[in-house]
Amino acid sequence: MSSSADTLSAFLAYSLKNLDSAFTKIPGSAVLVRYVKSSHQNDPGRTFLELILVAFAIFTLLQSRTRTDRSGKHFIQFSEKEIDELVDEWTPEPLAAPLNAVEVADLAAVPIVVGQNGPKPTLARQPSKIIANLASYNFTGLAGKEIIKERAIETLRKYGLGSCGPPGFYGTLDVHMALERDIADFLGAEAAIIYSQGFSTISSVIPAFCKRGDIIVADRGVNFAIQKGIQISRSTVRWYDHNDLKSLEDVLDSVEKERKKRRGPLTRRFIITEGIFEKDGAMIDLPKLIELKYRKKYRLILDESISFGTVGRTGRGLTELYNVPAAKVDMLVGSMAIGLCAGGGFCAGSQNVIDHQQINGPSFVFSASMPALLAVSASEGIEILRSSPSILTKLQQNIRVARTLLDDLDCISIPSHPASPIIHMHVRKPTSGLLHPASASSGHAHSKPSNPASVLPRDASKWDWDIEAEERLLQLVVEEALRRGVMITRAKRLRGQEMVEARPSIRLALTSDLSAEEVKKAVKVVSQALKEVLRR
Amino acid sequence: MSLFKKKAKSGSTTPVSAYFSALSKAETHAVNGVAPTATPALSLSSSVTSSSEDTVLHEDDTEIDNADGLALPPRAPNSSEVFTTVHTEFGHCSNHNFRAISRHIPGTPVPAHVDQDPPYYILLSTYISYLILICLGHVRDFLGKRFHPGAYRHLMPNDGYAPLNSDFDSFYTRRLKTRMDECFSQPVTGVAGRTIQLLDRISPDYNHHQVFTGTRTRALNISSYNYLGFAQARGGCADAVEASIREHGVSSCGSRLEGGSSDLHVLAEALVARFVGMEDALISSMGFATNSAHIPALVGKGCLVISDELNHASIRFGVRLSGANVRMFEHNDMGKLEALLREVISQGQPKTHRPWKKILVLVEGLYSMEGTLVNLPAIMELKKKYKFFLFVDEAHSVGALGPHGRGVADYFDIPPRSIDILMGTFTKSFGAAGGYIAGNKALIDRLRVRGHAGPYAEAMAPPVLTQVVASMASIMGVAPPSLVSSNSSSSTLLQPHLEVEPYHHPAPAPASSLPTWISLPPTLADGSEGLSRLRRLAFNSRYLHQGLIKLGFITYGHPASPIVPLLLFHPGKMNMFHWMMKDRQTPIIVVVVGYPATPLVTGRVRFCVSASHTKEDIDTVLRACDEVGDVLDLKHGLGPGERWGIDEVCARALELVNL
Repeated sequence: MSSSADTLSAFLAYSLKNLDSAFTKIPGSAVLVRYVKSSHQNDPGRTFLELILVAFAIFTLLQSRTRTDRSGKHFIQFSEKEIDELVDEWTPEPLAAPLNAVEVADLAAVPIVVGQNGPKPTLARQPSKIIANLASYNFTGLAGKEIIKERAIETLRKYGLGSCGPPGFYGTLDVHMALERDIADFLGAEAAIIYSQGFSTISSVIPAFCKRGDIIVADRGVNFAIQKGIQISRSTVRWYDHNDLKSLEDVLDSVEKERKKRRGPLTRRFIITEGIFEKDGAMIDLPKLIELKYRKKYRLILDESISFGTVGRTGRGLTELYNVPAAKVDMLVGSMAIGLCAGGGFCAGSQNVIDHQQINGPSFVFSASMPALLAVSASEGIEILRSSPSILTKLQQNIRVARTLLDDLDCISIPSHPASPIIHMHVRKPTSGLLHPASASSGHAHSKPSNPASVLPRDASKWDWDIEAEERLLQLVVEEALRRGVMITRAKRLRGQEMVEARPSIRLALTSDLSAEEVKKAVKVVSQALKEVLRR
Repeated sequence: MSLFKKKAKSGSTTPVSAYFSALSKAETHAVNGVAPTATPALSLSSSVTSSSEDTVLHEDDTEIDNADGLALPPRAPNSSEVFTTVHTEFGHCSNHNFRAISRHIPGTPVPAHVDQDPPYYILLSTYISYLILICLGHVRDFLGKRFHPGAYRHLMPNDGYAPLNSDFDSFYTRRLKTRMDECFSQPVTGVAGRTIQLLDRISPDYNHHQVFTGTRTRALNISSYNYLGFAQARGGCADAVEASIREHGVSSCGSRLEGGSSDLHVLAEALVARFVGMEDALISSMGFATNSAHIPALVGKGCLVISDELNHASIRFGVRLSGANVRMFEHNDMGKLEALLREVISQGQPKTHRPWKKILVLVEGLYSMEGTLVNLPAIMELKKKYKFFLFVDEAHSVGALGPHGRGVADYFDIPPRSIDILMGTFTKSFGAAGGYIAGNKALIDRLRVRGHAGPYAEAMAPPVLTQVVASMASIMGVAPPSLVSSNSSSSTLLQPHLEVEPYHHPAPAPASSLPTWISLPPTLADGSEGLSRLRRLAFNSRYLHQGLIKLGFITYGHPASPIVPLLLFHPGKMNMFHWMMKDRQTPIIVVVVGYPATPLVTGRVRFCVSASHTKEDIDTVLRACDEVGDVLDLKHGLGPGERWGIDEVCARALELVNL
């Protein structure tokens, strides 16, 4: 026994000695020893305190960061049994509430095209012949072009359908690059980038550039995709009155004043608006806007989803209409799905702007690139627009024909610009006359401007339309028109999800594929339906 | 064009039995293979010429250049083999041993995600190499700003404008990613099938600009999400798409609720619902937007989303838009998930402690960077106890997993309707684009009305819809109204050695679910080709996965997953690996991913196996990895004693697959 105890103590002494010598070999160990000795100073209490400090530091470091809310002051400790009881008690709400009667009827009333969509489609569950389609986006009649179909089939036979990969990983095809070049050349921008869905384009472009702390000044009437892009960017937002450049200037001034007062750093500043507004067809005054953005040193994100491919001599959009170089718009966003009857969306701008999105545009980076045949169809569409300006002339002529007939009606009000290919129609109240937010805010001089921090304008409390009743009326108009062979649609909205509830409207989408006579006939049918329903 | 017509004609006149014989084993063929006498068109010589013209040669190439070994199969097909695909798009493989079934063996544990650590010197040197890169980057920035201010102008405040991208924010992109830009955004042309053509490019100025040389290189494609090989420019699906373009045009012209709906949408949605085994489904024209535009319609304020930490960006995007609270749990860790559920249900909403309105658990079926399969059986157990709603994103798993290709639920043999929401994309297994959400009718109708896509986003284009319908129908098989029973017997005849247990929902698609103008060729219509694609994918996935492990590499993910990540660790090795694989006699293109898509130290290469690969293709990849792995010191998995040599791996492939 004693011998084993001896060997043990000898071993301990040996290993201690070894440890000691090893410790002294560590560089800096002498410093440590000296520090401990000097701090000890024959005061064990002090050493003990320091030990506690060290232990506390280690303990804090080891604390997991994710557990912070567990120890937060709102955390309640439960025993396992209590948790089990709470789990048993908890009953979640149903995942989705079933549709109500109105929603069911709305969904059932959605027109379903059989076969090719175009100016005169065949509809399912619709006995009468459709004489005109004023609902679908086929502004320049590209949907029916045989040449596009031929090119699409050629492409299919060379590329297959899907690209099977995001652009970063072998999803970039030569036809994508060709389309990007075509768009850039068509618009006169330095470069362009294509996204695989028009709707997702702007909600990806905005967060690619606008980060937390940046300033966005946006129109109160922007479309849903822009609203979502702004929401996800987490930037500071200021709103100006719908299509009111005076209000925009006031807001820009107030932002600058605020910055000077807070002496904040220089952050990125953007103006976000639409060329032709999806919500009501109003059109911005682009030259003035550009002058303003240069003067105030803002960047402009312009959504031309509706105006690209529909206005201007050859459909280049607002920049062509107003003869403004596209390079003056920092980020020009458009949709090939709407303007070119193909698919996807694009953003045009400087090379720098495009390169940035290739790494930072969420729905560019994390999504498969668009099918090759859609890209080629879009390129072909541009080629057609470029080579035959008569298409656009015809579209504008059809718009004029429609507007002449509709402007005379006193049961509706039209907020849309006379050149807009989409025509929104609100129910006009017999007493109150024009009461659209745009016309209301610009028409009547307000003593006080709206609060830029709130998306609702000042006069929002005075909006007296009954959304449900108007929607019901307009739906009746839609159904009446359909019975007479004209396919139109209400502007469908996500009620309760939009930042500002848009006034219910019927949205006509004109097309160059119908003759002026046919448009006249169709619009007459629509106005008949309007008169009948609204004057009841 | 004319070549194609000829092929289509011969395809339609060939008896079904000839196709069957090609797909069945050699001995099966000996029994019923009297096809050559019955159809003289398929004699030896004509079969060879027809295959060299129609299924091997394609595009405009006049002579076959097979120096890379990609254009021609390693051996000429014999008289019993009739291939209907182009070899460069979809490889020819008639060996029925090279097939496997993708399914979970009940009772076996589902492997959680395991991080296999490399030796310390690898970790240490990885950190050091990032450190060097970062230091060098800052030094270059420091000097550059002083000596070349012009190159930094766009990163600095200029003329009253803040930079779009500050030098600090873009540091990683400029100083680290640019060094390996040749691995990313490589433009390609042609079909993203078994092989793909690269547009060769060089960079004269260290990756700041890329210049195209004008030449093309055909490479073996183990990078595209083409799991079932439906990325094809020839064949039944492409024929159907061509017909649809003539019939429906290219565009739907509008959103679903505003005049962009067509009968094809209705039909495709019904077929998708049937495919995944749900009551109803909706289709969205973009995969990313399927999540980002519909999740906000499911949850909102007062709801809680519990999300796997490695969920895809589109899910995060959608959840952020929804305004719901979010909690994350460690990747695929069911213990952590349960602990989190107990905590959040007992605590309720933050501060107010009110009970949550609903809790939605969001997981992916198959994770795209790790290759892990979700532990669905465990989640279903938790779901019973904790009453949350379950959303499974099957972007990668639908089509790629399960004995019937119906995704992760099929793989685990879990009834799909016990899951609340199944979401998936068509980009991957179906060679199309866009995505779907499937669930019960009330839910899907709600999403149609409340989802962002319904009123605002363009409806899916008719050609894309057709590709979805045709590829799905050929996986399901189409039951002709009169021949329901004979169809099921023929499919068992086809796969005599691979019995599939009776399964409740995957039934063939009724003929009425296809548009009348689609006529699928017999092998697609009876589901035999679809089945063989599923089996080939399962074989290839397991083979590559187990082969890499046996060679000594560290891989991630489930063996059944067609996504096979191989760990490289060093940033420098990613570049080298990419280049060395591409620079071989048979060029292979790979996807390398590093920080920020992965944690800093676990840079990796990600292989995406396809049914279009032949066993020889996987051999080629393994051989290349073996050689490159030796040069780059990548084998840190199995000890040297347990490893196999490359020849042994190739020879014992069947054994590996059945491990």
